[in-house]
Amino acid sequence: MSKPDARTAEQFRTLLLPHLDAAYRYARWLTRDPTDAQDVAQEAMLHALRYFHAFRGDAARPWLLRIVRNAWIDLRSRNGREQVAMDVLEDHPADVPDPEQNALASDRRRQVAAAIAALPVDAREVLVLREIEHMSYGQIAEVLDLPIGTVMSRLARARQKLATEIRGRLERKDHGLPDM
Amino acid sequence: MDCPTCEAMVDAYVDGELPPSECIAFERALELCADCRQRLDTARRLSALVRELPVEPAPDLLHARIERELRTIAGATRTHPQPKTWRWSAMAASLVVAIGIGWLGANFVGQGARETDQLVAGYMRVSASDTGVEIASSDRHTVKPWFAGRIDYAPPVHDLGAAGFPLVGGRIDVVDGRKLAVLVYRYNQHRIALTLWPSSSTANAAPSLSQHDGFALASWRHGGFEMRAIADTAPSRMASFAEALDRAIDADR
Repeated sequence: MSKPDARTAEQFRTLLLPHLDAAYRYARWLTRDPTDAQDVAQEAMLHALRYFHAFRGDAARPWLLRIVRNAWIDLRSRNGREQVAMDVLEDHPADVPDPEQNALASDRRRQVAAAIAALPVDAREVLVLREIEHMSYGQIAEVLDLPIGTVMSRLARARQKLATEIRGRLERKDHGLPDM
Repeated sequence: MDCPTCEAMVDAYVDGELPPSECIAFERALELCADCRQRLDTARRLSALVRELPVEPAPDLLHARIERELRTIAGATRTHPQPKTWRWSAMAASLVVAIGIGWLGANFVGQGARETDQLVAGYMRVSASDTGVEIASSDRHTVKPWFAGRIDYAPPVHDLGAAGFPLVGGRIDVVDGRKLAVLVYRYNQHRIALTLWPSSSTANAAPSLSQHDGFALASWRHGGFEMRAIADTAPSRMASFAEALDRAIDADR
């Protein structure tokens, strides 16, 4: 393994650094804890830098997110337990003029975030990659190292589970989902 | 098309992964099957609910750590390492001229470290209090006149909200016995304090970025003003801040 040099660092800055936010977000949903997420994302970025010579120049984001996932699996096996922190959504008050509307929307967001966090990890990660990171099935398959068919069936199941979770947390008028 | 097929296609259709030819077949099948329409509606509403969630950026500390790693690598292998500190010596040299014309006097000459400490201390005041400003407004036409009569120059005031750095307000800071204008900007949850004063030189100088006790510092000259910005953010964010400010100043002329 060659040590990264200045040129590597520059290429890394151009190709991988723009995806640091995505790496952190994915880690945030995997770990459900901001501190662990920082550790996982940092670990993944440094690993990506060390093994940057193995990057073939195709899509950077799936490549990086797969490393994030592996870093998370490592952390989990080191810790031997899964965190059950539920404060997945810090309240970022939006600049909305109507405080009542804003409070309603912010409560809805909190409940949706809690519903995602409550999903089993298989469902959670496929949903996050699709609905938050807007990745294609092919890219998700790359991150999860699964055939596309499996990604599709997991995603369909994950959506059903999420709908059930949300229906259990919010009134019909707040989520607008059709009844089952 | 029987319904199990239709059901299997709902997700792919919503996610834009269904080939165009199959989309037509799916849309036709949809008209006949109420269950599938409901499933489609659910998937769309779920997407909308999830998309309402705020998109959280990586913390600045994480940005700063990765940035430091990259700089260490670049610095270790570069034959001409970039200066890691502010170019104080260059600044002192330009200020030798300044003494000659009486501008600023000897206040800043050779006192780079001390000035940095004072800027950091000033920044602590900004971040410690709720607002950290004496005049709180994002309106430049409110902030700029506020300085008149309080200091002996008129600083350029711009709201950089469009670039992600909304103006929070302004205040006066005393650096080495001289009253200077400080503009406070916001970047997400962070604050950026910009201290600026008229320069003896009209030539622009590109930002020099550095880190000091976990703060990012930028030092540059633009539009005839010496600029010193400080924040608890990654140096790369500072660079975009400086760029946004320079652009606003140029657009104003």
